[in-house]
Amino acid sequence: MTRLRLQAWAAILALLITAAFAIHPGPYEMAAFVFFAQPLFLIVFISYAWRVVKDLRQKGVL
Amino acid sequence: MDLGPLPRILTVILCVIGIGLCFWVGRVNYKRVNPERKISVGIATLSSMAFFKLLAFAALFAIPAGAVTFANYQTFEGVHAVESCERCHVMRPMATDMRDPASTTLAARHFRNGWIPKDQCYQCHSDYGLAGDVEAKMEGYRHLARYTTRTYDEPIKFKGRFHNDNCLKCHAGTPEWEGVKSHQTVRARLEESSLSCLNCHGRAHPTRSARTPGSDDYDRLMGEEGDK
Repeated sequence: MTRLRLQAWAAILALLITAAFAIHPGPYEMAAFVFFAQPLFLIVFISYAWRVVKDLRQKGVL
Repeated sequence: MDLGPLPRILTVILCVIGIGLCFWVGRVNYKRVNPERKISVGIATLSSMAFFKLLAFAALFAIPAGAVTFANYQTFEGVHAVESCERCHVMRPMATDMRDPASTTLAARHFRNGWIPKDQCYQCHSDYGLAGDVEAKMEGYRHLARYTTRTYDEPIKFKGRFHNDNCLKCHAGTPEWEGVKSHQTVRARLEESSLSCLNCHGRAHPTRSARTPGSDDYDRLMGEEGDK
């Protein structure tokens, strides 16, 4: 594992959308949260998990 | 269970913490972290590598998972409120009419008489709301997608079929309902929704022509009459 810059920026974007939805739960904010932020979180989780698995394989743990 | 604004407040707090931690994680170069360095976190002392890996776990998994969980409370529970429905302007005529003391629609009569104390839209339409079963949730998401992409025509038209179960779940079995002779005559048809309750009890909401932009009633139904 070197850097997690891309995952961090994607998570920041998704968290900003989520915060906007929590502050003003209008239809556009809700659509952005449901159709964009949640899939983005999923991508972040998968990407982060993949980096962790790769790191553990490199160290011979897995 | 109504938790009020608590889930929204927790969502915002988690988002703010998460954004701060993500900024920090994004700047860390894990190859340059000195594993010999120790970092104290109050209750324990960790190697700096362990600390930054835990930080990444919190920033990229734990805190976003918490934020999504609390935010989804709003998408599943918060949408029950009438205010949530009328945030889409195409639904506002129904809500305005429901609150109109002079209206004779079924929705207004239920509201005026306090027959449904709260979440009035959801109580009658829960078979296709965002908090129903999987099919119902998909329908709710379809409405959201259509509204936000503006792929609809005004006035909107209910394309599904309104099941009488939504009326009967409160009315059937009550002495008042059972005492009406005509209910017994058509009971089977009412139960299978082949005969609508509205056939005898009048319309539930304002007519499509009243809800058409530019109509005489449109400004009143949009609650904009006093603004002019």
